[in-house]
Amino acid sequence: MLQAEGLYLQRGSNEVLHDIHLQLSPGQVVGVLGPNGAGKSSLLGVLCGELAPDRGRVTLQGRALADWAGQERARRLAVLPQVSSLGFPFRVEEVVSMGRMPHGTGQRRDAEIVEAALRAADAWHLVARSYLALSGGERQRVHLARVLAQLWPGEAGTTLLLDEPTSMLDPLHQHTTLEAVRRFAERGAAVLVILHDLNLAARYCDRILLLEQGRCHAFAAPEAALTPAALKAVYGIDVLVQAHPERGHPLIITR
Amino acid sequence: MKQRVQPRTLFICLSLLCLLAVWLSLALGPVSLPLFDTMRAGLRLLGLPIAADGLQQAEMILGQIRLPRTLLGLAVGAVLALSGVAMQGLFRNPLADPGLVGVAAGAAVGAAVAIVGGSWLGGLPEVLAPYLLSLCAFIGGLGVTALVYRLGRRDGQTNVATMLLAGVAMTALGGAVVGLFSYLADDATLRTLTFWNLGSLNGASYQRLWPLLLVAAGVAVWLPRRAMALNAMLLGESEARHLGIDVERLKRELVFCTALGVGAAVAAAGLIGFIGLVVPHLVRLLAGPDHRVVLPASLLAGGVLMLLADLAARLLLAPAELPIGIVTAFIGAPFFLFLLMRGRS
Amino acid sequence: MMRRPVALLALCASLVFSNQALAAETLQRWVSAGGALSEWISALGGEARLVGVDTTSQHPSSLKSLPSVGYQRQLSAEGILSLRPDVLVGTEEMGPPPVLAQIRKAGVRVELFSSKAELAAVDENLKHLGQLLGAEQQAATLASGYHQQLDALQAKVRQAQAGQKAPGVLLLVGHAGAKPLIAGQGTAGDWLLSQAGGRNLAAHQGYRNFSGEALAALDPDVIVFSDRALADEQALQALLKENPALAGSRAVREQRLVSLDPTLLVGGLGPRLPATLQSLAATFYPAAKASLAQ
Repeated sequence: MLQAEGLYLQRGSNEVLHDIHLQLSPGQVVGVLGPNGAGKSSLLGVLCGELAPDRGRVTLQGRALADWAGQERARRLAVLPQVSSLGFPFRVEEVVSMGRMPHGTGQRRDAEIVEAALRAADAWHLVARSYLALSGGERQRVHLARVLAQLWPGEAGTTLLLDEPTSMLDPLHQHTTLEAVRRFAERGAAVLVILHDLNLAARYCDRILLLEQGRCHAFAAPEAALTPAALKAVYGIDVLVQAHPERGHPLIITR
Repeated sequence: MKQRVQPRTLFICLSLLCLLAVWLSLALGPVSLPLFDTMRAGLRLLGLPIAADGLQQAEMILGQIRLPRTLLGLAVGAVLALSGVAMQGLFRNPLADPGLVGVAAGAAVGAAVAIVGGSWLGGLPEVLAPYLLSLCAFIGGLGVTALVYRLGRRDGQTNVATMLLAGVAMTALGGAVVGLFSYLADDATLRTLTFWNLGSLNGASYQRLWPLLLVAAGVAVWLPRRAMALNAMLLGESEARHLGIDVERLKRELVFCTALGVGAAVAAAGLIGFIGLVVPHLVRLLAGPDHRVVLPASLLAGGVLMLLADLAARLLLAPAELPIGIVTAFIGAPFFLFLLMRGRS
Repeated sequence: MMRRPVALLALCASLVFSNQALAAETLQRWVSAGGALSEWISALGGEARLVGVDTTSQHPSSLKSLPSVGYQRQLSAEGILSLRPDVLVGTEEMGPPPVLAQIRKAGVRVELFSSKAELAAVDENLKHLGQLLGAEQQAATLASGYHQQLDALQAKVRQAQAGQKAPGVLLLVGHAGAKPLIAGQGTAGDWLLSQAGGRNLAAHQGYRNFSGEALAALDPDVIVFSDRALADEQALQALLKENPALAGSRAVREQRLVSLDPTLLVGGLGPRLPATLQSLAATFYPAAKASLAQ
């Protein structure tokens, strides 16, 4: 379980995060929403240890993040960044196998996990291709498979942080990716995902953290967090919120 | 997708090539020794009881000239190739070269100080001179790399992009300093300096060889153990961190390894370019970028390439000798152009 | 009984001399790494013994057909050994030292000579070469002849200086006329100029570049130019074209320009020098040309 208490982050004269409290519980998917510059990526940076907060602390399983040894932490916490700059012609299976590095599970088990992760990310058909020959969306799915493989099968005690994993995907794969993430959470993993599509967030997240200029505007279930008033205040848009006809989750329609 | 060479096939081929290159390097040379004599002399050197009659020349040529030279070529080639892999991992760019951290420029400055300064002092005692040159080159290489590394560090983190720029700047500065020394040098000293800058395996001897052999052995043992970590580095620094790799420590180790290895190689044989750039590239083209294959394969391939280049250097203009840096440049530059053109199509 | 010490003495003497003769006889295959040395060896009749020379050995021209062992500072041990020499001769500029050590270890004699621009060096070198070649008598003759020629030249120059002041001279060493280096104090070029009775206007040490202005400011009476790429007339044209600042100097105005073979400037003093010095002196003292030309 990943917990953040009283996070403050300053960059230059800008206050990027202001008194953020957050708890990622096993089995839950938390979505982070907010306009550009709201502090979403910075929050992810602090939660995974890349950025040090000016005040406040982040704990994993009760221990401070910095106290965890590299490999131990990597077995419990995986991060999917927004962009990847891998420039070498690895094969897809090699990229995904790198996710198994913190573990010592042996080649055969690793190969099984790699296959399962690739199938979950709907990228199994790419397994023997060169990474550099893939499109942006395909690459994104390969990296998703990698972080899934890192925490496979996603039991309680593992935490997955994802930074806009659907930004380059077509509509079908946006849904398959988030469904895979949900399945992961159902097995016990705690998940935080930064999204910019309100409807995707409303459908797949158990709780939503709505950020506005580094402050927490709301941290609640989608029905409670995504109200017309809140969205008007944070995004400046006029919306209608209705229940999805088949599934019942909030459906946000811009007027 | 293009087929890759299987690791096992690659290693077998490279090992065989290596043995062949060593054999050629020992058997061929300006002095034409009958093959049978060379083999018998070789066995004698190994300690086997073979009659010594008529073998004095073969023994001398083999033991005092060709064998140290072959060992030097293997060590220099292996170290330069491994350092190339290390730098390409550090900068996460297949075009990186050990010279990017300034070690070659620093070594050149050290050598210039030793050569030109020595001539000002009216020549050093002959016994001391070659050691002093190597020592100055080595210290220069380490010193400049340390400076470049220091410039790239901030808040306990090493910024690779800053290091790159610092390395470029130091290389330019080093070039200017060497230029100044060249201007101040007299004709004869200038020739010596120029030849050092072109690199040569000439005059290899056991007592000057062992420091490099030690360093080469160290690098060859240590670097392949970091193969998985290097693979992760290629994903990105934060990705590697999230996989549990101590990235700062790895960066420090890569820079140190390169400085030590290239410094020792340059101190022993002068400036020899392109090996660090061409060999890892070639290996990746054949067998993919996994460092568990690339590192040991580059070690072997670097040694092979160096020995073959040295054969050309020794035989093309016999009884004179080409500086080996010229041969490696003639191989390396066209290969590079070929890669560029291939990449465009 | 009294004859025994004498006999002993005679025996020892003959042994010593025959040893030396034997030594000279055993040194049949020579490699020479030094232009002037190769010339002296040829002058002493040893050209037939040369099996390899370095890149600076270009006179006599028949030497160019011999195998080249490369530049004298970057010799290859195996390369030299492949010529199966008995002795390697060269100046203190020969190298690199580890290669010389390897050659010695292979049983080849390595003899070092001086490349200093001094008459004493020539004497010493000739004596040494004479011993090695078994031509001591010839060497002594050459040495004394050398001295004679130079002394005679000195006398004539002094005579000429009675009627004419020593000219200010500059020696320019260039490549196709461009970026010429000026020979300063302590160089072989400087020695040449002063032997021929000239006054070297360059006060620095060694060879240096000068800017066009500095050249013009020196305003030499005579310019001696030495070009590594072009010969005589072409070299002169190139020199004047690349260095327009010289056009205003007295030397160019009065057409007192002399070309010099650049191989004379490296590797020590060689046998061709007296002739060159004579023609230089004739240019420096045109009034006394008749007497100097003898």
